[in-house]
Amino acid sequence: MSESIAHPEFDESTLVLGIETSCDETAAALVMGGYDVVSSVVSTQVEIHAEFGGVVPEVASRAHLEVLNPVIARSIVEAGIEDSRIDAIACTVGPGLVGALLVGVSAAKSLALVYDVPFIGVNHMEAHLYAASLEDPTLEFPLVVLLVSGGHTMLVEMQDHGRYRLLGQTIDDAAGEAFDKVARFLDLGYPGGPAIDEAALLGDPEAIRFPRALIDGSYNFSFSGLKTSVMNYVRKHPDVSSADVAASFQAAVVDVLVTKARAAAKEVGATSIVLGGGVAANSLLREEILDGCVKDGIQGFLPSRAMCTDNAAMIAAAGWHRLRSDGPTPLDVGATPNLRLPFLNV
Amino acid sequence: MLILGIETATERVSVSIGGHEGVIGLFEVTKGRRHAETLVPAIDFVCKQAGIELAEISVVAVDVGPGLFTGMRVGLSAAKAIAQALSVPMIGISSLDLLAFPCRHTERVVVPVIDARKGEVFYAMYRQVPGGIQQVAEPAVGPVEDLVADLMARSQDVLVVGDGAVRYREEILEGFHCEMGGDAHPSAGQLVQLAHARALREEWVQPRDIEPVYLRAPDAKINWATRAART
Ligand SMILES: [Zn+2]
Repeated sequence: MSESIAHPEFDESTLVLGIETSCDETAAALVMGGYDVVSSVVSTQVEIHAEFGGVVPEVASRAHLEVLNPVIARSIVEAGIEDSRIDAIACTVGPGLVGALLVGVSAAKSLALVYDVPFIGVNHMEAHLYAASLEDPTLEFPLVVLLVSGGHTMLVEMQDHGRYRLLGQTIDDAAGEAFDKVARFLDLGYPGGPAIDEAALLGDPEAIRFPRALIDGSYNFSFSGLKTSVMNYVRKHPDVSSADVAASFQAAVVDVLVTKARAAAKEVGATSIVLGGGVAANSLLREEILDGCVKDGIQGFLPSRAMCTDNAAMIAAAGWHRLRSDGPTPLDVGATPNLRLPFLNV
Repeated sequence: MLILGIETATERVSVSIGGHEGVIGLFEVTKGRRHAETLVPAIDFVCKQAGIELAEISVVAVDVGPGLFTGMRVGLSAAKAIAQALSVPMIGISSLDLLAFPCRHTERVVVPVIDARKGEVFYAMYRQVPGGIQQVAEPAVGPVEDLVADLMARSQDVLVVGDGAVRYREEILEGFHCEMGGDAHPSAGQLVQLAHARALREEWVQPRDIEPVYLRAPDAKINWATRAART
């Protein structure tokens, strides 16, 4: 099975400007030929949203509008090119917060019009799947990708470019959302992922045995019950150490994620397990995935933190592949807040 | 000097190109809320209609609100991107100025009213001055009752215009006797004309200095459901 290339005129020398505004990161990047990151700029709104303990859609949209132009300008300056060198503009069209997405889509389509180059609407989730290949273009299919962030938790089999099978996903909270909610409950701060990760360093992961919702026979996840049992436990034991709770909660989440990812990799005969999404920066998750992969004799690939979290290099890369297989996207597209991946099995 | 005008602060999407010879291209559609889908093809259409290339534009004018936040931002984001890519300056004009401007020949006080949703309206007051109009009351946002109270406090001859006037016609007339008329939505045609006068005086700014006029603090509700839709 190989990538279908209907548009070979876009090749290794095609320079794509990627734009990402789907949540709380404003990003622009230039990627050559789908793999070579020439520049990548990310402006995060994490501090703006910290006081609310989560991403506020209207606040995010306002911030994107303010910083998008400077972020794009910086990506071009850092690349050291003339903007006339840009061959195509790729932008996330979904999934994400609609008001936030539209700031990027509107700018991206306008730039495509001014530069008279193709526009490519990119699926944010598909872009996450491409993030790893930007750091290791030699990754071989099939891959199992564990995508975990504040907005998404899914296990995907990547058979080839553009060919994915959904193995499982969360049936309630995303993993990152559970981290945010538990961190807020324990007063550890926002965003919850790094806060729990840090607090857990000083705690005992075996202090409390929180339930593992394994949902036998399925690769689906559920974190809402775990979150509730953390809250119940703390209410019943008000003097418990937050560090122990954080460490035990984190151990439960990671245990479930790693168990399912390894089982999935075994079932589909994957060469590697690849991590993606903001929660992939979690130190325990990284350690356990690597350990597990060594035991199973496969490769564990952990992209850098910058490539796991939302960025525009992955948008440009996914855009380049889509441009070659599907050609340009018409300029009358809007944003699709609940856009799904084109899975083979649904 | 050719000016590109982009107007998306209300339900209307409107694009115009003009200069010293007036408006030479205009596209307008006032149906549904498909600003993002409509705007960029509309810009392309107006350029072709006017027989120009985007590269010939020397100023980008945009409605900076107040208005519907998401629609406004679609126009602002496009306008800023185009101005930056073309390396040209921008002129931002208030949606309320744009609604009042066509009524500059009346003796009455002109009150543009824009539907702000959630039972509220954006409004301001203007009167005629030689050669144009002048704002006599600052832009405000509030329930229709606030507007009616402000009108009663002035008790002058008033002309109320805008989509807020259309939507709340009954409520306004019940509280205060006034004329209703004028345009329901701002137009990029007016935008280009107003911007042209300012451009002649070089009253423009760089894209980074364009400030949207929201008049309303963001609704600080965290939408967990929307985030969950990303899974
Ligand atoms: Zn993401």
